[in-house]
Amino acid sequence: MSSVARDRVRELMGEVMTAQGRSLPADDSAELRTIGFRSLDFSELALRVEDELDDELNFDAPGLRRIATIGDVLDFIEQLQSA
Amino acid sequence: MSESVPPASVVLVSGGSRGLGLAIVTDLLTAGIKVAAFARTVTPELTELAAKYPDHLYAGPVDINDTPAVQAFVKTVESTLGPVDALVNNAAIGQDSLHVHTSPERLEDIIQTNLTAPLLLTRFVLRRMLAKGLKGRIVNVTSICAQRGYPGLVAYSATKGGMDAATRSLARELGGRVLANAVAPGFFASEMSAVLGQTQLDQIVRRTPTGHLTEPEDVVPVVRMLLLDNTNINGQVLVIDGAASI
Repeated sequence: MSSVARDRVRELMGEVMTAQGRSLPADDSAELRTIGFRSLDFSELALRVEDELDDELNFDAPGLRRIATIGDVLDFIEQLQSA
Repeated sequence: MSESVPPASVVLVSGGSRGLGLAIVTDLLTAGIKVAAFARTVTPELTELAAKYPDHLYAGPVDINDTPAVQAFVKTVESTLGPVDALVNNAAIGQDSLHVHTSPERLEDIIQTNLTAPLLLTRFVLRRMLAKGLKGRIVNVTSICAQRGYPGLVAYSATKGGMDAATRSLARELGGRVLANAVAPGFFASEMSAVLGQTQLDQIVRRTPTGHLTEPEDVVPVVRMLLLDNTNINGQVLVIDGAASI
């Protein structure tokens, strides 16, 4: 499976935020809770990544993990793509 | 405070060729809403509506169990009418046999058509909705059978109960971006069957405070409200049976 680069995933994450009238901070350590990035926003981001991949991400593979920051989201999407 | 979910603009109705489904399609078209309807067979009534509302109705013959065909239909609807932002899961098959006399194959068919297929359709529509950043609405047509026991409807009732449960979980899972509700009609006058015969239907009528069985016309305004009105109703199953079941 091809992959979407981390920078591109960050851009897509920014698009999700912008569509809701918010902006994505440049700092990867920013807390999702603080910036208002919720679980459904994560789903929307994952669907946009899938659209670029033209394939579904495998959510069955990774175990549950704590996703608290922007960097965590980007790490997790990377992990999903390599699963 | 989060913004409310806007009224539906393009509604996909499964099983929209006759009965309640056709009544829902007709009502939404009358309200000026764009509607896409599919069913195994496109009836003359649905064809007539398509001729009357060429810019607002897109209809086609699709079996809900044919997942690739259903997904292709949804994509064609999007290119014809615009992005789908509402779904009415109405397609279902009935049951008319005691559980002990229902073949394993028929059981599988009922579960596939009434539970698995609508869940797959819902998943597909939601994925496309969320990917576009849209808000939307889902109305599942279930049944009073999901809440009360009736003979001859064991598998059917199980699937409708499953859809009621899915409705509640969807409402939670979708975090207010999609309003998910169900309508649970009582028995329709047209639903006389071998197992639930005229005697039992007469008994249901006698026990119904409003004095009559449910008609599609009773259900249609509730579906319209759930699709179009600005309410905070979410994750609910609205029983429409004249209080027969209370």
